[in-house]
Amino acid sequence: MTATPILQLRGIDKSFGPVQVLHDVAFDVHPGEVTALVGDNGAGKSTLVKCIGGIHPIDGGTYRFEGEQVQVHSPRDAAAMGVEIVYQDLALCDNLDIVQNMFLGREKRRGLVLDDATMEEMAAKTLEGLSVRTVKSIRQQVSSLSGGQRQTVAIAKAVLWNSKVVILDEPTAALGVAQTAQVLELVRRLADNGLAVVLISHNMNDVFAVSDRIAALYLGRMAAQVRTSDVTHSQVVELITSGRSGDLGLAHTNGATA
Amino acid sequence: MKAGPSQEEIRRHNLGTLLRHVHIGGSMSRAVLADRMGLNRSTILGLVSELASVGLVREELPRDTGRAGRPSLVVRPESDQVYVLSFDVGVERLTAARIGLGGVFLDRRETRVRPDRRDAGEVTEVLAGFARQMMDTARHGTNCVGVGAAVRGTVRRTDGLVRSASYIDWEDEEFGAGLTRRLDLGLPVAVGNEASLGALAEHLRGAGTGCQDLVYLHGDIGIGGGVITGGQLLGGDCGYGGEIGHMVVNPRGGRRCGCGARGCLEAEAGERALLEAAQRDPSATGREAVRAVIEAADRGDISARAALHDVGDWLGIGVANLVNILNPRTVIFGGTLREVFLGSAAQIRSRINSHALAASRENLRLRVGELGDNGVLIGAAELAFSTILAGPLEALARTTP
Repeated sequence: MTATPILQLRGIDKSFGPVQVLHDVAFDVHPGEVTALVGDNGAGKSTLVKCIGGIHPIDGGTYRFEGEQVQVHSPRDAAAMGVEIVYQDLALCDNLDIVQNMFLGREKRRGLVLDDATMEEMAAKTLEGLSVRTVKSIRQQVSSLSGGQRQTVAIAKAVLWNSKVVILDEPTAALGVAQTAQVLELVRRLADNGLAVVLISHNMNDVFAVSDRIAALYLGRMAAQVRTSDVTHSQVVELITSGRSGDLGLAHTNGATA
Repeated sequence: MKAGPSQEEIRRHNLGTLLRHVHIGGSMSRAVLADRMGLNRSTILGLVSELASVGLVREELPRDTGRAGRPSLVVRPESDQVYVLSFDVGVERLTAARIGLGGVFLDRRETRVRPDRRDAGEVTEVLAGFARQMMDTARHGTNCVGVGAAVRGTVRRTDGLVRSASYIDWEDEEFGAGLTRRLDLGLPVAVGNEASLGALAEHLRGAGTGCQDLVYLHGDIGIGGGVITGGQLLGGDCGYGGEIGHMVVNPRGGRRCGCGARGCLEAEAGERALLEAAQRDPSATGREAVRAVIEAADRGDISARAALHDVGDWLGIGVANLVNILNPRTVIFGGTLREVFLGSAAQIRSRINSHALAASRENLRLRVGELGDNGVLIGAAELAFSTILAGPLEALARTTP
C-alpha cells in the first residue's frame, strides 16, 4: 500500500500508421502490489505492455520509473531498469534445461567458459525464494515440464535479475485448475516479496483472487484504475465492455470522440 | 499481594521467549536474538547456555554466510532430539506425525477411513499404534515433550472433552483423557478444533506469518473457522469460539444444517451445498468431488459455474460479516475452500466490497493457505509445544525419562 508508484505513465499515445491504438493512457504500478490489467480483445493491453517493455517506442506522453522520467528505446533499456515481461508463449527452449533457460542470452562466464556452478546456485536460490516445490531437478529439460511448471520457470527467469516490475501476460490462460492455483500463488508471493506485478488476465476470478488494483482499458483508453477492494465484478465487466460504470470510467464512450 | 514478577519468573519467561524465537524463526545468531528480545548480549549468552545444557538448542557455525570475516555462531533448535506427537482425526483419514522443535516433520503416518461413525476407542487405538511406531523409530535419548490432537468439532479447552463432532457422531466424548491414558507418556494430550489449529499454523508458519489479526476458513466436510486477534487464538469462554461455519447467513428458508439450525454458512456454502447445486452424484463426496466441480466450471459446465457462483456469494456474505466484526488484516482460505476461493473469487470479493464497511475492508488481504494438508498437524504440534515454550526447564524436568 505504498503511495508512490514505481512505474507511472501519463498521456501515452501510440499509433501504428493511421491506426491509433493507445490514446492518452495513464497507468500506475505500485511495489508490493498486483495490478491487474484488463480489457477486451484489441483494447490495447498488449500494446501498452510492449510500450512499457521498450518493444514499441511511444509516440507521446511521459514514462516515469521510480519518480524519474526515462526514455526506453529497447527491451534492453527496460531490463536494465528492472522491468521484465513474461509473454504468453513463454519463449523457453524445449531442448535446454531449466538453468540454461533461465540464463539464456545472459549467461554467467568465468573467463572463457560458462560458470555453471554459479548459474545453478542462482537458479536454485531463486526457485527456493519463490517456494517453488513443484520442480524436481533444475537440470531437467524444459520439454519434460507441465504447463504450470513452464510458467513457473518463465516467472522465475524474470525474477532472477533483481527485477522490480514483472509483467505477466495471461499466465493462466492455458492451464488447468490445479496449475492455475499454483501460478496464482506464485504471482501473489512475488508481490508479497515487494515486487510490482502487472497481471494481464481475462479471468475475473483470477483478477479478484490476487490483485490489489484493477486497470481497465477500453478501446485504447484507460477507462479506470481502481482498488480491487472498491469494486464489484459487474462494475469491472461494465468498464471492460462499455468503458464506464456509474461514476467510474470515461466521460464519453459512444465512439464520437477522436 | 505480589510486587511484581520474581527474578525466577522473569528468567523462565526469557528462556521461553528465546526458545520460541528459534522454534518459529529458525537458526539465528545471538546478536539477532539480543536485538529481537531487547536484552543485552551477556544475558542472551546465559540463556542460550542454559537451554543448550538441557539439550533444547545447540550453537553451531552457519553453513554459508557469503560474507567476509569470522562468522558468528547461530543458535539452532534441537529438532532431532526434542519433538512432539501430533494427531489429526480427519474426515477421510487419520493422520499422525512426529514433529521436532522448530516445526520439522520427522515422521508421518496416515490411514484412510470411511467417512462415517467411528468409535472413539478405535480411533484412540489407531493413533496410539502410530505413536508407538513413530516413537520406536526415534533414536535413543530423544525426548517427547507434548502431544496435540485435532478434531472437527467443539472441544472444551480445559480437558479436551469433545462436546460434539457430528462427522464421526461423537457427543461428550472424553477423547483427550482417553488418549492420554492410552498413550501413558505422562503428558496430557492437548485437543483442539481443527480450524482453530489450522489458523494457528498459518499464523505462525504459513500465509499469515507476521500478521496479528487473521481469520482462517477451513473447508472439508463442513466449514471450520479459526480467529487470531492481536496474535492470540480466539477461544471464548470455554474454547468453543470461532465456529464460523455456523454463522447464520440465511435463516429464512435457508438450507438445513447438520447442527439442526437453518441457513448456517456451512449449510449454504459447504461441500454438500456445492455438490448438490452442481447436480453431482450424491454418493461422491470429499476433496476429489469438490475439485471435479471446479474443473467442470473451468471447462464451461453451466451448472458447475452456477453452483460456484452461489457458493461464492454466500462465502462473500459470511466474510463481509467477519470483516465488519473483527477487522482482520488477512482472511485465509484453506482445505477445499482454497480451490473454491480461486474458482469464485470474483463473487466473494464483490460481496465483501458491497457489504463490508469501507474502512474495515480497506487493507483486507484475501489469501489461500500455504500449508496444505499438513496445516492441521502443524497446528496441533504448536499446541503440543506450548507447554515447553511457556517454561522450558520445568516442562523438560517433567518429561525427561
